[in-house]
Amino acid sequence: MNAAAAAWLLGGALLIACACAWAWLRRAREAESLFAETRRKLEHLQREFERFAPPDLIEQLTDGRGDVAPQRRQVTMLFADLRGFTSMCDRLDPGLTVSILNDYFRHMSGAIGRHHGHITELVGDGLLALFGALESNPWQCRDAVLAALDMRAALVAYNAELAAKSLPQLQFGIGIHCGEVIVGVMGAGELNKFTVTGDPINVASRVEGLTRDLGVDLLVTEEIRKALDTGFRLRPMAPVRVKGKPEPIQTYHVET
Amino acid sequence: MSQLLNEIEWGEPLLAPDIDPAWEAELKRRGGNGSEVDRRVAPSPWLREACLGINTGRVCAISAHLFNVSALVTAQENACRYCYGASRAYMQMLGYSESFIRRIEQDVHLSDLNEKERALVAFCRNLARSRPRPARAELDALLRLGYTREAAHEIALWIALGCFYNRVSTLIAIPPERGFEGWVEAKRRWFALAGPWMRFQAARRRRGKIDPAASEAALRAGVYGPVLAPLAGLPGAMIMKSALDGAFASNVLSRGTKALMFAIVARSLDCRTSETEARRLLAAEGFSGAEIEKSLASLESARVPAIEARLLPWVRETVHFQTAQIQRRTRELAAAMGNAAVLEAIGVAALANATVRLAMLVE
Repeated sequence: MNAAAAAWLLGGALLIACACAWAWLRRAREAESLFAETRRKLEHLQREFERFAPPDLIEQLTDGRGDVAPQRRQVTMLFADLRGFTSMCDRLDPGLTVSILNDYFRHMSGAIGRHHGHITELVGDGLLALFGALESNPWQCRDAVLAALDMRAALVAYNAELAAKSLPQLQFGIGIHCGEVIVGVMGAGELNKFTVTGDPINVASRVEGLTRDLGVDLLVTEEIRKALDTGFRLRPMAPVRVKGKPEPIQTYHVET
Repeated sequence: MSQLLNEIEWGEPLLAPDIDPAWEAELKRRGGNGSEVDRRVAPSPWLREACLGINTGRVCAISAHLFNVSALVTAQENACRYCYGASRAYMQMLGYSESFIRRIEQDVHLSDLNEKERALVAFCRNLARSRPRPARAELDALLRLGYTREAAHEIALWIALGCFYNRVSTLIAIPPERGFEGWVEAKRRWFALAGPWMRFQAARRRRGKIDPAASEAALRAGVYGPVLAPLAGLPGAMIMKSALDGAFASNVLSRGTKALMFAIVARSLDCRTSETEARRLLAAEGFSGAEIEKSLASLESARVPAIEARLLPWVRETVHFQTAQIQRRTRELAAAMGNAAVLEAIGVAALANATVRLAMLVE
């Protein structure tokens, strides 16, 4: 082989190597931009889903950690319901009604989130918040009561805003109870949600209902009282029989 | 999903730099870089020693490459804008490509990370995040992949020290080293060429030897000895030990408050080993079992001086946090307690988080 042929051969090989490297780099760049785009979409999806379920749950699901398998846990449940809101709905413009309700939920959600709870259900003008459902929380009863006190303060502030706009003011009732429940993602077909099931949740709901009968805004059960320290001022209420319970249940009004 | 650098909300610094010429000279002499952290923690002797120790610390069982990757991942998981930005710029300076760094940040692992390195990244994320709570099994998984026991312990130690440094920086809201970050960014092409040589030099500086002073007996002797004992021989172990001994010897906050802060972090992360050790410290301060239980249940204690009472609910918030929210709460704390007490509290909270995370792995 003469020198010219060798040079041609070498040049050709170099050219092929350069073309291969260029193609490889281009594919690597394409893959990177694809990953970046996928990450952006995943992040957007995560943020959107955070409107429907607790952020920690979304994080667990997106990370594929599989920690949302059903399990028994000690959980504190807080039910809150607006009083007289249904009749208010009949008088107000639908758009205004939804706007008042959304602002109310925003205020309540902030108060609950500040104390390590998360809202798991919104039904009409009612909400269910859980404390210690996604991870162990040794201060869950205290957190729930502090959240309820914060909700009370937030409602006062929100009512002042409503009054300034000459709109009707809101009143709520809150019931708090704790106990061992089953937590997990429940539902059928396309409609699933992270929630809890078990007798304690029924009790929490009944206690919220009692606030109406007893004329107070915030009631907790004996189980919650036992877990609280002396820093809270609790007033014992007369024991009341509730549906599904053979014995009357003792509740306490949380004053401060 | 872990946040990227530009997604982290970061407030104004809580403390001004404390320029102490003697300490600045000492920093220079001992190879410190006189960072924003060094200047802001300067008023606390044990805290500034710990921060300097971390900046100049050495490793003997893991490579400098693994050290760099774990520092970046830990800072990102802890959403520490200061450390994350500095680690990122440091890696760029050492010639790591932007695409490699981005893949680590985005948790996208291609062929440039082997199985052991991928396991390390996952371990860093889990331990720093502690949600769900990590356990010994995670350390054992590293051993199964071929890491030696010393290497696995050294990785865990540096993640814990990273968590400490990240919390100190986050709670003080140390201003990011934008000058350094910008300088590295401007010279990226140059660092792409010179990086391998700089990486070699940096690895040489980071390389340490077994530390005879960090014997098992010496580590076991002090505060949280049972947690430190498995780290025997590691050069970084003495940083942790000195910080723990120094924090508990300092008299800026009462010893009972500090032990309670450790107990609260331990309970928050469900770590029995750490809680037992904190109870032992509290018992030595005269707390009865019932008093400890009551304090842990209520996050209050009659034995804690009134000015320090607000540290108990606050320290719980330092375990898992939203950066902007915890910086706001720490600012409120500083307004009520003063800068010296809050700096000490930040150090203790950061140390409690680091120690408990380490302890979870030996349970």
